[in-house]
Amino acid sequence: MAKKKPFGKLNGREAMVVGIIILMIILFSLLSPTFRTYSTFVSVLDMAYYIALMAIGVTFPLITGGVDLSIGTGLICYSLFGGYLIVHKDMPVVVALLACMVLSIIIGTLNGFLIAFMELPPFLATLCTCMITRGLGSLLSGGFGVSWPSALEEAGWFRKIFRFTSANGRVIPIGIVVVVVLVLLMNFILNHTKVGRYTIAIGSNKEATRLSGVNVKFYHVFAYVISGFFAGLAAIAYSATYVTIYPGSGAGFELDAIGGAIVGGVSASGGVGTIVGAFLGVIVITLMKVGLPFIGLQANWQQIFTGLVLIGAVLIDVVKKKK
Amino acid sequence: MKKRILAIVLSTVMALSMVACGSADKAATTEPAATEEAPAAEAAAEEAPAAEAAGEAYHFEVIVKSFQSTYWQAAVQGIEQACAELGVTANSNGPANESDIADQVQMIDNAIEQKPDGIGLAACDTNSVLDSLAKALEAGIPVVCFDTGVADAPEGSVYATVATDNTAAGACAAENMFPVIEEVVKAATADAPVRIGEVNQDATALNIQQRGLGFINKMIELCTAAGKSVAVVGNEFYVNACDNAGDEATAEVIIEVGVPAQTTVDLAATEANKIMSKDDTIAIFGSNQTTAEGVITANATLNKLSTDPATGIVAAGFDAGTPQKAAINAGQLIGSVTQSPLIMGYKCIYKLVDICDVKEVSDIPMYGYWYNAENMDAADIAPNLYD
Repeated sequence: MAKKKPFGKLNGREAMVVGIIILMIILFSLLSPTFRTYSTFVSVLDMAYYIALMAIGVTFPLITGGVDLSIGTGLICYSLFGGYLIVHKDMPVVVALLACMVLSIIIGTLNGFLIAFMELPPFLATLCTCMITRGLGSLLSGGFGVSWPSALEEAGWFRKIFRFTSANGRVIPIGIVVVVVLVLLMNFILNHTKVGRYTIAIGSNKEATRLSGVNVKFYHVFAYVISGFFAGLAAIAYSATYVTIYPGSGAGFELDAIGGAIVGGVSASGGVGTIVGAFLGVIVITLMKVGLPFIGLQANWQQIFTGLVLIGAVLIDVVKKKK
Repeated sequence: MKKRILAIVLSTVMALSMVACGSADKAATTEPAATEEAPAAEAAAEEAPAAEAAGEAYHFEVIVKSFQSTYWQAAVQGIEQACAELGVTANSNGPANESDIADQVQMIDNAIEQKPDGIGLAACDTNSVLDSLAKALEAGIPVVCFDTGVADAPEGSVYATVATDNTAAGACAAENMFPVIEEVVKAATADAPVRIGEVNQDATALNIQQRGLGFINKMIELCTAAGKSVAVVGNEFYVNACDNAGDEATAEVIIEVGVPAQTTVDLAATEANKIMSKDDTIAIFGSNQTTAEGVITANATLNKLSTDPATGIVAAGFDAGTPQKAAINAGQLIGSVTQSPLIMGYKCIYKLVDICDVKEVSDIPMYGYWYNAENMDAADIAPNLYD
């Protein structure tokens, strides 16, 4: 892991991503007067919440040298299940939130078990749970979309965790506080606790870690449980931000989170990366998703641009390794 | 022996159907017809006893796209209403999910084996049902398609189609939105143009294309009639496919079309946000449930929607769902266009009876129905507004 910290507490890669973010904001603001408004700032954050939460989680499997492709469809599955309990079973919102989390931990554990114990390749194992959660979501919700209670209703209180409207009608995006606290907490866990250090060790050299007496299987499973848990939190953020959750959607969300983590310096081959970096990478991805339409780039160009940026991010890693 | 059993079965069936007709007829007279087709329905209901007297109680098999969503429950409600009015019976069925194409094909084949007097069909996949339609033709069973037409159906198999005319449905939104913004549009100049937004889920599905273009072309027509020059900007498909894309530099009214990179609510919200953030935007239309909710989501941050163009952006939606209904009640949307699953199901049965009575039948294009805070609870609208 890069321990050099030329810019205060940020390492080199993170400082570079911050630079890219600043450049992007300047560029979009120059090209589109409507981009440099408070409401656009809020909508960038709105979209960043669920992607950032997924990215925090998926950084753990990525650092072990694996991947978790089930978080996108998983997010929709958990959200549909929670919404179904509220709308069709008249359960309180708290129960639905807990149900989201329980289901997400179950799927995370299943991923970990398939990978660490059954020794399935992470790509395949999580591709399978990606399909399973996609089907399960439709099944749980009876095949149609569900809307969590709106902010106008009393049961819509959970929406205020991420977005608070003050008395004079100004929207305060307090979700960013929640996300930043979780980023710092998980960054600490990854770098300063046993769980985190073993996760990195598994990604660097799994065999050596096992030989040094670490219960590799347990920590390997744990990485996927964390990924599942954060997909559950992302499901809550998504339900709180958007109106109706549709079955069959969600495929592709994981790519935004994984892409963000990689832009932020998490190595796709394992062993390297920080949660702060992954979070900053997500901001880059979100800025592109929100900003590119503002400067008048049409849908297909937005996808091409995002792909190009990812190639650039991975190339930086490749070049750095060669040096 | 066989003949005797057949005779017993036949007479039992006839007796039962007479009872069914009797009770259905009663229902028709005691229950006021709830659709706006009321006069026609009553007239037809009066014909029903004649058919009954002739001993002709038809039985139909109806297969919908899915049996669980509220949209289809409304269709089945229309089917039952028509059956009650006409004194016929229908058995409705459908797969668990609209994507269970193979299940639906199996259901159609089973229905053909039951030898009903006719089949009503809302095809999940227009290509997969072609073989089944050929079988129905061979068995001499007439088919009426509703909700979705089957363009390549074997000749003679589909007698009529009752489906939403999406071009007209899109135009319906423009027709209802224009009077609200008319004054602001008339005040626009080339130096201070006004902008009308439209968010379409994609530029590839036929129904969305037709709906989006229906709105754009009607809006061009209305603004041109008001003496204004119009330009269409944004997504290439819609700019190229509309009647006249005009010139943005000299236009007094600019129609901006946004299409998200993927069909997700977050990206639909971003497209809506982009258009609604512009100072000259006076109106916006979301052409299906996802994009209409995108407009509502964007407004949670922008807080710009209003029913009065002097104080904010006027917005209209499409289809139903709890969030849209709530937004209409809260004065965020001026209204929305709903398709009419109930009336489509209802008319499907009427068509089938006409076919059995050897009357001439033709396709019925269904229009979008405009609903707003005033008529949301009306008897002919409410059943179409699923949650």
